[in-house]
Amino acid sequence: MSVLKRIWKFISSMRFAIILLVVLAVTCSIGSLVTQNQSYAWYASRYSERTAALIVALHLDDAFHSLYFILITAFLCLNLTLCNIIRLPGLIKRTGKASGLRERLGIWGAWVTHVGVLLLILGFSLGQMTHKEYAAYGVPGQTMAIGDTGLVMTIDDFRVDLRADDTVEQYTSEITVYDIARSSSGKSATVSVNNPADLFGMRFYQNSTGWAARVTIDKDGQPLQDSIVCAGDYLAVSDKQDLVIYFNAFYPDYVMISGYGPATASGKLNNPGYLYSVYYQGRILGMNVLMEGEVLTIDEYSVHFTEPQSYTLIQIKKDSYTPLAFAGGIIILLGLVLSLYVKPRKNNRLQNDLQTRGDDASS
Amino acid sequence: MLQVENTLFTIAMISYFASMIGYFIYIAAKKEIVFKIAFAIQAFGFVLHTAAIICRGIEAGRLPLTNQYEFATSFAWGLCLLGLVFMLRFRFHVMGAFISPVTFLMIGYAAMQSKEVRELMPALRSNWLGFHVSTAIIAYGAFGVSFVIGIIFLLRDRLKAQGFLDQHIPDKEKLDLIEYRSVALGILFLSFTIITGAIWAERAWGSYWSWDPKETWSLVTWIIYAVYLHLRIRRGYKGKSAAIFAVIGFVCVLFTYVGVNTFLPGVHSYK
Repeated sequence: MSVLKRIWKFISSMRFAIILLVVLAVTCSIGSLVTQNQSYAWYASRYSERTAALIVALHLDDAFHSLYFILITAFLCLNLTLCNIIRLPGLIKRTGKASGLRERLGIWGAWVTHVGVLLLILGFSLGQMTHKEYAAYGVPGQTMAIGDTGLVMTIDDFRVDLRADDTVEQYTSEITVYDIARSSSGKSATVSVNNPADLFGMRFYQNSTGWAARVTIDKDGQPLQDSIVCAGDYLAVSDKQDLVIYFNAFYPDYVMISGYGPATASGKLNNPGYLYSVYYQGRILGMNVLMEGEVLTIDEYSVHFTEPQSYTLIQIKKDSYTPLAFAGGIIILLGLVLSLYVKPRKNNRLQNDLQTRGDDASS
Repeated sequence: MLQVENTLFTIAMISYFASMIGYFIYIAAKKEIVFKIAFAIQAFGFVLHTAAIICRGIEAGRLPLTNQYEFATSFAWGLCLLGLVFMLRFRFHVMGAFISPVTFLMIGYAAMQSKEVRELMPALRSNWLGFHVSTAIIAYGAFGVSFVIGIIFLLRDRLKAQGFLDQHIPDKEKLDLIEYRSVALGILFLSFTIITGAIWAERAWGSYWSWDPKETWSLVTWIIYAVYLHLRIRRGYKGKSAAIFAVIGFVCVLFTYVGVNTFLPGVHSYK
């Protein structure tokens, strides 16, 4: 047998499939044990310089997108495809000879499962390569562009439904989306956790929430600027762009815990505290907590934080291959039912594996 | 209602312990009547355990399948159910002495968790939760049975010296078949678990697969059992090799459940 034939036989063999599956399981396990997508400095601080270097060198910091992970998956797909192609004529022949629907269907179980796995991997891979994902956040009344989609979203309303014990029952955003290039009329939808909305070919998810506040800046006692800023965002002074006010965090019921730092005693707006920092030309000038009614003075500028309110973060996604991946999943289930439960039984209860051995031999 | 649940749970746990001792005595005393008593105690415990879970569901006003305690007690319930079913279906009485310690350990683990009834965070308020977790309970229970059968398979030759066990443990071919039946049930339900979880994740988080540690370990578990199914149909690998994979598979199940929640936090860390 020539070398090429041997390689071909090995690549299409069940032995190769088993080796690939074991290697895939080991790779996934290692990938799950190492926190993914962190910086070298993060790994070095968590482990050691040597371990961090090893993690980065072996691409364990992004194991599920590494070349070796893609190669293992690609070889598994090749193996499954070849296995199914090679087995197809034998299965067709056996189906012709089979008596009864149960037997006819049952012998296709493993083949159908393999098709399902292939479709699932294909759908997931194509989705990973082609999906578009955006995030938009703001408070009711604000309008924002959604990336490069040509869509614009207005947040009409945002509600946080609380239970009697102050735990959150649901986050709900009312949104209107406009396709500015094609139509002047928008489409409205309600989006809540577990209930995304489909508009203009995109899916809108209620992702998360946070605090925002109105930041007003006066110059020499005259109003200069007025903006809603979300915690985690910054505001550059309009006539002095290298002076930046960064809104670090918000504490609705501010308390200072010794040895820990600023915190909130509850989720209620009992004692609003705004943690801010001021940067000038990229260098930090100061950082502190400003209470409601207090004024931050920087030379001729006076900064106020008021009107704390919840903002909503909407995740917008388009993945055209999700249905393909889910179809793969359904086909896997169908294949498993066929191969494990519909597979023809002979008189002896121990027979089912003899039948499968026949399948194996034919592959 | 929680007090009732607590009482029922405690009696169920004691019953599982008593039945475990009963199964051990059955092997030592070699009396069929002892098996019948142990089995009856286990079945009694199972009924009370079921009632405890129902009470919790009524008290919480939802399916009690959302935190570490609720899943642990349901996991023990699934192990008990599948253990009883397989013992009866295959008339394999000695199995009780092997599955009951696993069940008792799991309900003991549940007893150590916080039993506080908490309201659900918005992401958990989904109809998919019931499908996702209940299929996981059946899958894990079935894998627990396959683990026990795998252990018995691997120990069978050593146990053979004792005449009683030799007569009451099926031959390797039948053990292999029972193990296969449990793995078949488990992998089918695990597939349901993963797929329903993916559908739910897509609706809740906008991504049906994000390599969260729990997702990844569910996949690892699925792969291990897929290897089991493939090994079993290869000449020369059926039997011992497959049994080893059945044991490894359940270790993965336990890590997916306990280990991941403890050591690898992600979106599934609902303690």
